[in-house]
Amino acid sequence: MNLAGMSLPKLPVLKDLFCNSACAYGVVPAPRDGEEKEMMHRMLRVDHAGEYGANRIYAGQMAVLGRSRTGPLIQQMWDQEKKHLSKFNEILAENRVRPTALLPLWNLSGFVLGASTALLGKEGAMACTVAVEESISEHYNSQIRALMESDPERYTELLQVIKEFRDDEMDHHDTGLEHDAESLPGYWLLKNAIQLGCKAAIYVSQRV
Amino acid sequence: MAALLRGLRAGRLLRGLSSGKTVVAAPTSTTLQCSSLRRGFHCAALRLKDESKSEKHSASSSYSSSSSSSTTHDAYTSQQDSDPSSGDQEQDEEYETEEQLQARILTAALEFVPLHGWSMEAISAGAEAVGLSSASTGMFTNGAGDLVLHFISQCNSNLTEILAEQHNQVQLGQVEPKKTADFLRDAVETRLRMYIPYMESWPQAMSILLLPHNIPDSLKHLSTMVDDIWYYAGDRSTDMNWYTKRAVLTGLYNSTELVMLQDSSPDFQDTWTFLDNRIQDVTNMAVTAKQMQLTGEAVAQGLMGAAVTLKNLTGLNQKR
Repeated sequence: MNLAGMSLPKLPVLKDLFCNSACAYGVVPAPRDGEEKEMMHRMLRVDHAGEYGANRIYAGQMAVLGRSRTGPLIQQMWDQEKKHLSKFNEILAENRVRPTALLPLWNLSGFVLGASTALLGKEGAMACTVAVEESISEHYNSQIRALMESDPERYTELLQVIKEFRDDEMDHHDTGLEHDAESLPGYWLLKNAIQLGCKAAIYVSQRV
Repeated sequence: MAALLRGLRAGRLLRGLSSGKTVVAAPTSTTLQCSSLRRGFHCAALRLKDESKSEKHSASSSYSSSSSSSTTHDAYTSQQDSDPSSGDQEQDEEYETEEQLQARILTAALEFVPLHGWSMEAISAGAEAVGLSSASTGMFTNGAGDLVLHFISQCNSNLTEILAEQHNQVQLGQVEPKKTADFLRDAVETRLRMYIPYMESWPQAMSILLLPHNIPDSLKHLSTMVDDIWYYAGDRSTDMNWYTKRAVLTGLYNSTELVMLQDSSPDFQDTWTFLDNRIQDVTNMAVTAKQMQLTGEAVAQGLMGAAVTLKNLTGLNQKR
């Protein structure tokens, strides 16, 4: 918290005054009613939580494998996740969405997951990446489907953002597979356990 | 005779409309206000034609002044009530929605609170003031709770308007941006000053808000207000700071409100002094928290150094 001596930053005023329908400045259209607002906020909250968690997972992996041969590869994937997170931070701030209260939990558990799978070696880290990215892609796909079903025109920009992020996550997934994720002993067990955890995390972050 | 009445009504209506508030930029309710004003014009036009609705004509002059507060009230209540706005379109040819009517009655009832307290009597007096029979209070199932919640929501909308106006002035460069601590102090003071006319009966209002069935609504109003204040103070955090800042401001606001209840100094000077001191405390706490964070980071770095040393010793740190 920085109350000491902080002064107000400049905020865009045009959006507040004039942009009440889909606005060139914002990715998310202004909600028409309480229900839509609730749905959008839930969606954005869980996406933000997901990117935050993914960030922490890569951070954990880098902490262990940062100086190994796979270091640069993990760093590259982490940088892309950082971009995703900053985009969602922007969207959340713009739309005054409450971030999930479980962020400290995802902070800790993401780091622990990344670090512990990286301790199993490069294959472990890749297996974790594959599992998580598959869960996230599936989640983004279901969001894309929901938005397309309700009103594709209205949500064009948001759909674009989610599709782009989904494609990036699929790339990470494929990279993980390319780098011998499946050769880890106990791959199926680990993968399913992680995916179950991800599903639980998504379920909870939507509500809390 | 009928023509004379129509002329009188038209005159009163025009005067009412010209004195109505102009659209103020509040974040999400501008289109809502615009469309309701249009509906208001349409309603007014139809009322001129309709002689039989005699009980509504006295409402036309008060309609414009309460329409802006009722529409912003709608913007807040649309989240709570599931009353669909499509109902408005069907009904607006003949009369306003029930929500708007309720808002109008409650606004009028506020005049009578110093006399009757926060009670059904005040609401009945308000209903009579807008020209309806006092039996119409039957639609207020929550009784005095409805009145208090309506007042709170009205105060919140006023606060949001004031903050948005200040924000615009800052954007236009007319006014220097305030420091966060000053901004919070001014916002809380402005908001609490709205209670001054009702100060004698405010303890009664607070106890009504603490009734179990009113708690969810009053908490919602409180959290919306705190969120608004922080938004205009420039908070764009998307991590745990979001929660800590709002918790701090809620504590600040509630404690100052309680002090205000028992304050008998001129113009509540003691309350504002209390507020200043609490804000100072919070600022100090923030500085301390920052220092603790830095210390924590230094400790973490120390631990990392120890971990790296261990890894070196055990040979885990070699390039594979």
